[in-house]
Amino acid sequence: MTQRALVFIVLLAWCSVFARAQRGPEYDAVVVPQNRIDARDLGYPPADVIPNGDSAITALTVAPNGNVYGATSGKAAYLFVLNPRHGYVQPLGTIPDTAAVSNALAVAGSGEVYIGTSPGGHLLVYTPQREDRQPIRIKEACAVKDLGVAVKGESIAALAIDREAQMIYGLTSPNAHFFKYDIAGSAFTDAGVVANSKPYGEKFETRKMFSAMLVLDRAENVYASGENGFLYKFNQAKQALEKLALQAPAIPGREPWTRVESFITDAAGLIYGGTSDGYLFRFDPAKLRVQNLGKPLLAPQITALALAPDGKIYGVGGSEQDMARLFSYDPAEGAYQLLGFVDVNRRPYYSWQAYVIKTMASGLDGTIYIGESERISRLYLFYPVTTK
Amino acid sequence: MVILMASLSLPQGLAAGTVTVDHRLFPGLAEMDGNWAALAVGSDGKVYAGLACHGCDGHMVMYDPAADRVSDLGNLTRLAGEDNLQAGPQSKIHAKFGEGTDGRIYFGTHAGLWFDYARVGTREGYPGAHWMAYDPKTGAVQDFGIGPRFEGINTGAYDPKFNRIYGLTHPRGHFVYYDVATGKAVDKGRMNNFESICRTLGIDDEGNVYGNIGAGQIYKYDPRTDEITELPLHVPVRQKGISLGRDYEKSETHWRTVVWDRETRKFYGVDESASLLFSFDPHAGPYGEVKPLGQLCAAGMEDRRDIPYATLALALGLDRKLYYAVPQKEFDYGGSAGAGVSHLLSYDLRSGAKEDLGEMRLADGRRVIGLNSADTGRDGTIYFVGAIEARQEPGRPLESAGTIGGVPYRLALVIYHPKRSGR
Repeated sequence: MTQRALVFIVLLAWCSVFARAQRGPEYDAVVVPQNRIDARDLGYPPADVIPNGDSAITALTVAPNGNVYGATSGKAAYLFVLNPRHGYVQPLGTIPDTAAVSNALAVAGSGEVYIGTSPGGHLLVYTPQREDRQPIRIKEACAVKDLGVAVKGESIAALAIDREAQMIYGLTSPNAHFFKYDIAGSAFTDAGVVANSKPYGEKFETRKMFSAMLVLDRAENVYASGENGFLYKFNQAKQALEKLALQAPAIPGREPWTRVESFITDAAGLIYGGTSDGYLFRFDPAKLRVQNLGKPLLAPQITALALAPDGKIYGVGGSEQDMARLFSYDPAEGAYQLLGFVDVNRRPYYSWQAYVIKTMASGLDGTIYIGESERISRLYLFYPVTTK
Repeated sequence: MVILMASLSLPQGLAAGTVTVDHRLFPGLAEMDGNWAALAVGSDGKVYAGLACHGCDGHMVMYDPAADRVSDLGNLTRLAGEDNLQAGPQSKIHAKFGEGTDGRIYFGTHAGLWFDYARVGTREGYPGAHWMAYDPKTGAVQDFGIGPRFEGINTGAYDPKFNRIYGLTHPRGHFVYYDVATGKAVDKGRMNNFESICRTLGIDDEGNVYGNIGAGQIYKYDPRTDEITELPLHVPVRQKGISLGRDYEKSETHWRTVVWDRETRKFYGVDESASLLFSFDPHAGPYGEVKPLGQLCAAGMEDRRDIPYATLALALGLDRKLYYAVPQKEFDYGGSAGAGVSHLLSYDLRSGAKEDLGEMRLADGRRVIGLNSADTGRDGTIYFVGAIEARQEPGRPLESAGTIGGVPYRLALVIYHPKRSGR
């Protein structure tokens, strides 16, 4: 290469360097396709929105009628609903005495919404009443009924529901109690703990390691991860919590700091999990077998998973200090597709990228809802390409 | 608004004159390719600047007007103790400096290359911005360590009252600060999207910090409560018309820069999209008050969609005039639309009179292509840093940082003396 050619290449590189200092068209290649994604403000801007600082979406769930319920965390926690026919987010008010709701929303077959609170540890129930006809509620409290404290002195860190049995299951923080709540009998039962002690570590590592979610199999057994990444099963038949001889995937030696960040169950009853180290795994509860499906991203943590109608698993990875990316896993092919940053570019009207994502949910029509979890947050709607 | 803009600009087609400016090069640092905001005159009269280098190490430099000497205060990556890390270098000081009551000059560092954020959080990626202070008494830079992990200080300001360095991070737009006395680094969370991070934080005389969010909305951080409040106040921002591409490349929804006027206790600033001038009185009424003051642009550019993007080169002179350097063509060093010549504008706070002082040229006729930082010396001298035409000296190789519109350029401290110029 001649010196002149080298100089030209260097100069060309400088031009592109400066062009990249701001957003350029080439950035479109590193984000999800823009015809597949959109975003919703959490309310009606500019006034009637869940305030910045309280808008981090930390729980999403889909009701039997298709409505999407979400809860936020911040100085105050809010409940909201999105009716897919309407398409906008309707804030339902603050959740009383609550700063955070972390993967702790569950909707019963009746449509009642159960909310696990932090730091109080209360189980609340919200009964939807013609929400479409109600005004947006920002400053007012959401009308909820307090069902009591699950485990005294503990926050609720995750919820799941068995709609058939009308049973709610939960995990508490900081001491990792597994509890159940019998809706009909209005009674809590503490079934034991999934982590006894925090792992050894640096002075800033102060929490016990247990999963950020719970998941049910087709036999209505309930699973969590606990100390050293071991899977725990609440055995429906025995009504007892069992430690399984199975661990979530981890690099040997990293088990003490491993937890499952996200769970989903597919149509066949197989459970998929995403770990704190960023591994996706499949757990067959019938065969008691865990398969490590590898690491789709060069990032720690798979913070959320959702199931598409064609059986593909969609996931999001990245830590609190990272920039989240979306991927999919096709169980039929055993292959990943890396979809890029979760970004919506609808200029000149709005443009926003989600950097931290902690929750996803699959809508009844196949839309995947993605909850951004930052000081300023939005709800994203991702429309997967279905292959079946 | 259009009528007001026109009344504050020279008639279209009326050529402005030439303003001859002095300059100093940064010896041994010809490869430094940019400077944004990082310029301050200390109470000792010395001029501090941060020089950026994409893909390499940035430097902090000092000009001593008394000795007429430029000194390199250090390689930022080396000062951060990261010289052998094989990670993204400390390539810039991309934000304003501030002087503490102890006489130290405080600042935060920034990265140069971002690779479409493909390397954020990776081994070879940028480790994170360092908070630092330069002590003129000892000549040493103290490194307070990494503040935000994997992110740079895109925007910053220092408050001597509360002894804190504030910043907005890139790429995630978080409002962060470092409390020098306690050594505590705090992250208050996200304010902006990566391509629309407010480019200047203004600090009033009570230590309150202001920035922009959304479409020109002003927010206030109060150090007494440690709370951010989004105020019902907006700076004037031009409605976007037919896109010429810039709204894709650059934010057009915030103030570009503001300067604090101790006398009136107000900020004066320009917006990003059209250099719309405004005042912001943070002490008026319950939330403060914003007043549009027209458009501060070169002759013939008023109300044009293709007016060059606002610069960070705004300073308040001792003569109560705002001095603002604007390029002839969209200017961002190697990413500029072409090589024009910068104009120097003034706005008299006493009379409201605006003047285009003309094309900024060096004594030998070379163009000042574009400037992106400014501050005022104790004697009223206005200092800028930016790009000037590079010229090959006889018998020596051409030293330049690259080209702008095919014209070789290098960074220089540009010096304007309002008194000597008879202004």
